[in-house]
Amino acid sequence: MTRSALWRRIKRDYGPYLPLSPYLFVVLFPFYWMVITTFKRDNDLYNLTGVPFWFKEPPTLSHIQLLLHDTMFVTWLWNSLFIGVVVVAITLLIGLPAAYGLARMRFVGNHTMSTAMFLSYLIPPALLFLPLSQVVRKIGFTDSIWSLILVYPSFTIPFCTWLLMGFVRTVPAEIEESAQLDGCTRFQTFRLIVIPVIVPGIITAGIFAFTLTYQEFIYALTFVSASANKTIAYGVTTDLIRGDVFYWGSLMAGALIGAVPVAIVYAFSLDHFIHGLTAGALK
Amino acid sequence: MISRRDYARPGAVVADAAPARRAGRRLWAEAEALLWVGPAFLYLAFFIAYPFVMSIYLSLSSARVGSPDWHYVGFTNFQRLFEDPVFWQTVRNSFIFTFGSEAIRLVIGLPLAFALNRSFKGKRLVQGVILIPFVIPIALSSLAWKWMFDSLYSVINWMLMTLHIIDYPWQWLGEPGLAMWAVIILNVWRGFPFSAVVLLAGLTAVPVEVIEAAKIDGAGPLRRFVYVVAPIVRPILFVGLLYSIVFSFTDFSAVWLLTQGGPYNTTHVFGTYAYNVGINAGDIGQGAAITLFMFPLLAVFVVIMLRGLRRE
Repeated sequence: MTRSALWRRIKRDYGPYLPLSPYLFVVLFPFYWMVITTFKRDNDLYNLTGVPFWFKEPPTLSHIQLLLHDTMFVTWLWNSLFIGVVVVAITLLIGLPAAYGLARMRFVGNHTMSTAMFLSYLIPPALLFLPLSQVVRKIGFTDSIWSLILVYPSFTIPFCTWLLMGFVRTVPAEIEESAQLDGCTRFQTFRLIVIPVIVPGIITAGIFAFTLTYQEFIYALTFVSASANKTIAYGVTTDLIRGDVFYWGSLMAGALIGAVPVAIVYAFSLDHFIHGLTAGALK
Repeated sequence: MISRRDYARPGAVVADAAPARRAGRRLWAEAEALLWVGPAFLYLAFFIAYPFVMSIYLSLSSARVGSPDWHYVGFTNFQRLFEDPVFWQTVRNSFIFTFGSEAIRLVIGLPLAFALNRSFKGKRLVQGVILIPFVIPIALSSLAWKWMFDSLYSVINWMLMTLHIIDYPWQWLGEPGLAMWAVIILNVWRGFPFSAVVLLAGLTAVPVEVIEAAKIDGAGPLRRFVYVVAPIVRPILFVGLLYSIVFSFTDFSAVWLLTQGGPYNTTHVFGTYAYNVGINAGDIGQGAAITLFMFPLLAVFVVIMLRGLRRE
C-alpha cells in the first residue's frame, strides 16, 4: 500500500475522531485525575518522583473510608437529593400552570408577565444573596435546609416556565378547543390533553430543575452553616479542608461520588438535556 | 357558532352579547388567568422583586450582619467604594474574566462544533461526554482543578515540565497574573461545551444546498464560512453568547472555590468581593452596593435580548 493510500484510509476511518481527541482529553483528564487521586495512598500522592499517572503503591480505600466515617458526607448527599426532589416538585406545581396560562390564555398583562418571567431568570443569585439572607432570617429559616427549599425555586421556576411555554405552544389549539366544546373545563383540558402531550417537556424541565438545584453554591454557603444542613457541593468543599490541610484523597472521592447522581440523571436523559439546552437558550 | 376562543379574546366582537355580559366575561378571563399564573408571580414577587428592591435599600443603609438597626446613610457606601482600589480592581477583573473566557470559549468551541457537525459512529456518545463539564456541579469539578493547580503537586506543572514547555513549577494560584489565567481556564473548561452546542445548533441550521451552491460558485472554505455560514449562524450565536456572558459576569463559585479572590485581590469578581465584604466582613450595606454594580451591564444585555425576542 502506498503512503498516500494509507493516509487516505486513516482519514476515512479516523477522520472525524482526530479533531475530537484533544477535546476529549481536556474534558476527561480532570475526572481521570480525580479517580486516580481517590485511590492513591497518601505516600503515593505526595511522591514527586516518577510518572504520576498511575499507582506506584497498591491502591487504597482509606480516603473513601475517611469521607464516609469522619465527615457527614452521607447526610450532605441525602440533603442534596431531598432538596432537589422537593424543589422539582414545587417548580412543576407552580411552573406548569404558569406556563400554560402564559402560552395559551389571552388576558391583559400577558405580554408583560411573559417578559417578567424571562427577566427574572437573568437576575443572578450573586445579586440577590445578601437581601435574601435577610429574608431567610426574618422568616426564621436560618441555618436550615428549608431556607434552600424556599429560595431555590427562584431560579428554577423562571427557567422551567420559559422552557415549558415552548412545549405548550406545540400542542395544537384545535384539539383543546374541541375538548372544551365537548364540555371539558379548562382544568380538564389541561390535565387530559395538554399534560400528556408535553410529558417530554416536563421531564426536561424536571431534569434542569434538579441539576440547577444540585449545583447551587452561593445560597447554601450564605444561609447554612451547620455541617448537618450542608448540601453536597458545599459540604465537600468546606469540611475536608481543615486549616491549611487539604485532604486531597477524600476531597476527590467526595467530588467524584457527589457527581454520580447528576451523571446518572444526565446519562438517562441526554437527548432531553441537549434539546432543553438549545431550546432554553434560543427560544 | 361562537367558539370558546372568541370570547376569551379581549375585544372580540360577539354580536348577540350585551356589553355588560361581555365585560363580565372579560373580567372572568382575567380572573381565570390569574388563577393559573398567579402563584408563580406571587412567588417571584416575593423572592426576586422584593429582594432586588431590598438590595437597593440595603446599599443606602448601614446594615451589618447581626445588628438589627439599619440607618439610612445616603450614598456613603458608594462613596467608599469609589475610593476603594480593590473595588476598581474587581471591576477590571470581572471584565477580563468574562470577556477573556468568552473569547477563548468561542475560539475553542468553533472547531469543535465543526467536528461535531458531521455524522460518524458514536457521535451521540462523544457529544454526551463533551458536555460533562457543563453538567457536573462546578463546586465539585473546581476541586479537581484546585488540586491540579496545587502549589507542590500540580499535575499540570508536571506535564508542562516533562514536555519542556516550562522549566520551573508555576504557582498557578499564588501569582497575580497566573491566578487570573487559572480561573479563566476553569471557566473556559466548564463553559466551552455550551458554546459548542450553541454553535452546533447554528451550524445545523445552515442548509446543505446553500453550501453546495457556494461551492459550485467557487467559494473556498474561508469565504464560505465568512459569507455563507457566519451570517446564518449569527443570530443563534448572538443569543447564546449573551447568556454565556451574563453567567460568567455574575459567576461566584468558580472564582470563590479556586482562589477566593486572591492572591492580593487579583481575581476578585463582583460576586466574590460582595461576599467577602457583605458576609465575611459583615458589612451588608457595602456588599449590596457592590452587587448593584452588576446591574447596569445586565440591563444592557437584557435590553439587547428583549429586542431580539421581539423581532422574532
